[in-house]
Amino acid sequence: MATAILDLEMSKLPPEIRVEERYSKALVLIRLHGKPIGQALLSLVGGHADGSQLRETLMNAAGENLWKNWLYDTLAWDERGPVQAMPLATVAVCTRDRPEDLRRCLDALMQNPDEGQEYLVIDNCPSTDATKEVVKNYPQVRYVREDVPGSSAARNRALREAKHEFVAFTDDDAAPDPNWLRSLLLNFSDPRVMCVTGLVMPLELETEAQEWFEWYSPHGRGFERRVFDGAQCNPLIVHLVGVSASMAVRKSLIDYIGLFDEALGAGTPTVGGEDCELFARILRAGYCIVYEPRALSWHRHRRTWEELRKTLQGYGIGVYAFWTRLFVINREFSVPLLAWGWLRYKQIPELIASLRKQPDAVPRDLLWAQFRGCFSGPMAYFASRKLLQKIKGSNE
Amino acid sequence: MENLTVSIIIPSHNRSSSLRRALDALHLQTYPLDLIEVIVVADSCIDDTLAMLQDYKAPFKLQAIEVNCRSASIARNTGAASATGKLLLFLDDDIEALPPLVESHARVHRERPGAAVMGPYPPKLHGGTRFFDVEVRSWWEEKFYQMSQPGHRFTYQDLLSGNLSLDAELFGRLDGFDSAFGNCGGEDYEFGVRLLKAGVPFAVAGDAVGYHYEHETNNLDRSFRRSRQEGRSDVLIGRRHPELRPILQVAAYETAYSLVDKIVVAVTFFWPAAVDWLAQGLRESLDLLESLRMRGTWRWLRSKLRGYWYLRGVIDELKSRSAISSFMQGGPARAHLGGYEINIDLQQGWEAAESLLDAERPAGVYLYYDQLTVGHIIPQAGAEPLRGAHLRSILALHFAQPLAGAIAVNGLPRTAETLEDKPLVAFETYELAIKS
Repeated sequence: MATAILDLEMSKLPPEIRVEERYSKALVLIRLHGKPIGQALLSLVGGHADGSQLRETLMNAAGENLWKNWLYDTLAWDERGPVQAMPLATVAVCTRDRPEDLRRCLDALMQNPDEGQEYLVIDNCPSTDATKEVVKNYPQVRYVREDVPGSSAARNRALREAKHEFVAFTDDDAAPDPNWLRSLLLNFSDPRVMCVTGLVMPLELETEAQEWFEWYSPHGRGFERRVFDGAQCNPLIVHLVGVSASMAVRKSLIDYIGLFDEALGAGTPTVGGEDCELFARILRAGYCIVYEPRALSWHRHRRTWEELRKTLQGYGIGVYAFWTRLFVINREFSVPLLAWGWLRYKQIPELIASLRKQPDAVPRDLLWAQFRGCFSGPMAYFASRKLLQKIKGSNE
Repeated sequence: MENLTVSIIIPSHNRSSSLRRALDALHLQTYPLDLIEVIVVADSCIDDTLAMLQDYKAPFKLQAIEVNCRSASIARNTGAASATGKLLLFLDDDIEALPPLVESHARVHRERPGAAVMGPYPPKLHGGTRFFDVEVRSWWEEKFYQMSQPGHRFTYQDLLSGNLSLDAELFGRLDGFDSAFGNCGGEDYEFGVRLLKAGVPFAVAGDAVGYHYEHETNNLDRSFRRSRQEGRSDVLIGRRHPELRPILQVAAYETAYSLVDKIVVAVTFFWPAAVDWLAQGLRESLDLLESLRMRGTWRWLRSKLRGYWYLRGVIDELKSRSAISSFMQGGPARAHLGGYEINIDLQQGWEAAESLLDAERPAGVYLYYDQLTVGHIIPQAGAEPLRGAHLRSILALHFAQPLAGAIAVNGLPRTAETLEDKPLVAFETYELAIKS
């Protein structure tokens, strides 16, 4: 029961859809004049759907976004203000022992038009030379090795190594769209914008695990551009902001906000939460974060059920580790309320639905994995800090 | 085109070290220093400002004037009266100018003669997560960013005198700042009203940046005192320009929204000392709220307290409840009465509509699309007349739905060649036009 992934332009719809017969449905990214405006789930019969059904489905799914964006194009008006000269940027890919994914990611990045950006690959604690060999095929890409384990350490290294004021990050298991970098950078005309996140769509939905992941915790945050203003919103509510698999920051962030917390993130005992923590810190300092759906990236979700379970457990650990840091270090005493809200309005209802075996309920083992993660998150944060001190101490 | 002579006027009051920093920053200006004269107006200084100025070695002509008036507007006017330059540049003493500041001002004046040109002066302090710092910094940054947008419609509240330049002749013709404002501030807003009434265009010199050492002087208590001064100065502005009365914040106190607000307003008139005491106590609790990181409550309480001190400022000027009512009744009932309005048929194309706006400069517009009504851009008191640059963002933000419907019925506007290569998507079929 695999799902095909289609990327369709509304103004040039094909007369019919034909994909391999094993696909029973298709996830369609809807674009209008190149800009993502919505997504639709299209049911297929024997891998086939005809044009009128396709058009109807897409129009209903895009809804108001369709005519609104069409009108903005007609007016030649852009909510980001007038387009300025492209600033110079650094693109950093943080990777660890995933040469095939990295190759796909770099191939996709090379499709971005050349506007003088530099490319960095930060190889985090590699166990083999495979990553280095992959990078050799791309003359524009600079290879940097970082031996402190953890995605935050790798990202901090990238920020220090970057030559330019704007630094865009992509994960190695993502494949950015050719317009990805441009779309991120065009949001930085406002000096208060410290960070821009992008839309992340699934690269493939071949297995049940990938479909569950996309259904249960998608990386995408919708098709509306949103500005999170730290002076107005609650800076601790960051799950709507976006993900670090597709984001760009200013380098001056280092002076104003500080670097990533190296006790958080993949490759450390906390498994995640480093992006949430940085977003919260940016907002707490009164700066803005923009979610920009034009900046599109395709992310390969984990293929097996075992990996999916581990990913969700990791989310639990990451979120609770991030909250622990907020509570203990930043003295943000409203964290327990956030935890209670998540439990009361999402986790418990999901668990009840699952125990009653309601249709569409989340499988029980995934929920338990997440609960286990939440439970171990606080301790993981302290353990991670201890470990980091030890590593840093032995390096000096 | 030869370079203009520039007179930089810096009013200062007991901030000798800050003033020295401001003067030092002017040494590095890229503009020819022999065309610059700096006039420091030392107002009621009891620190070492005057001694510092005596010994100060400057590469430009420096003049110090001593006044005792405790009023920024009189100090600025005094400085302007003895200025010899073609351009006046008003600069605050806590602003550290970046080297291109004067040059950028002069360049914008060459491009747009007769404009009032402002430069951004964002706060110097970038970090810091204290609630008050965050609020202040984001307010200033947002203000300057909005003002620098090409489609921004200027209002009288965009005239900020901390980094402002205009022709000396124009300043003299408008009689400068209003000296009646004394030490309550707000004289810059009032000057902005008169500039707009005189048809003076506002402009922003994006590179004329100075860093504002706001954090040295500003804090919560001072900001509440400022709110009280704002209340006073708003009444003065309303007295001089009755047509602005409906949009002043004063209007909010005539008919308070909630019951609690009504009670507080009533008690304030009856027994102000008691409410002052309460407000002081609540101001202390702001610090407690911050230590508990209760952001939402802090923001709510802070806005309430600001509103209270604003009301106290209004009462300082108007004294009684009936005086506020008669003050409000002295102006028009609504802010958008009168004003020059025109009709525009958008089907003639956006460019045609924009050039019509630039030619006519109306206060409001009735928008049509062939025979269909799209909407009405209501005149705004205290704002500049409409320009072509305002049109598209107004249409996109406020009239998207009726406009899209009108296009669906009547077809695309003329001269939209840019879209010929883009096939019509949503409006090919008649049935969709009904759906939307």
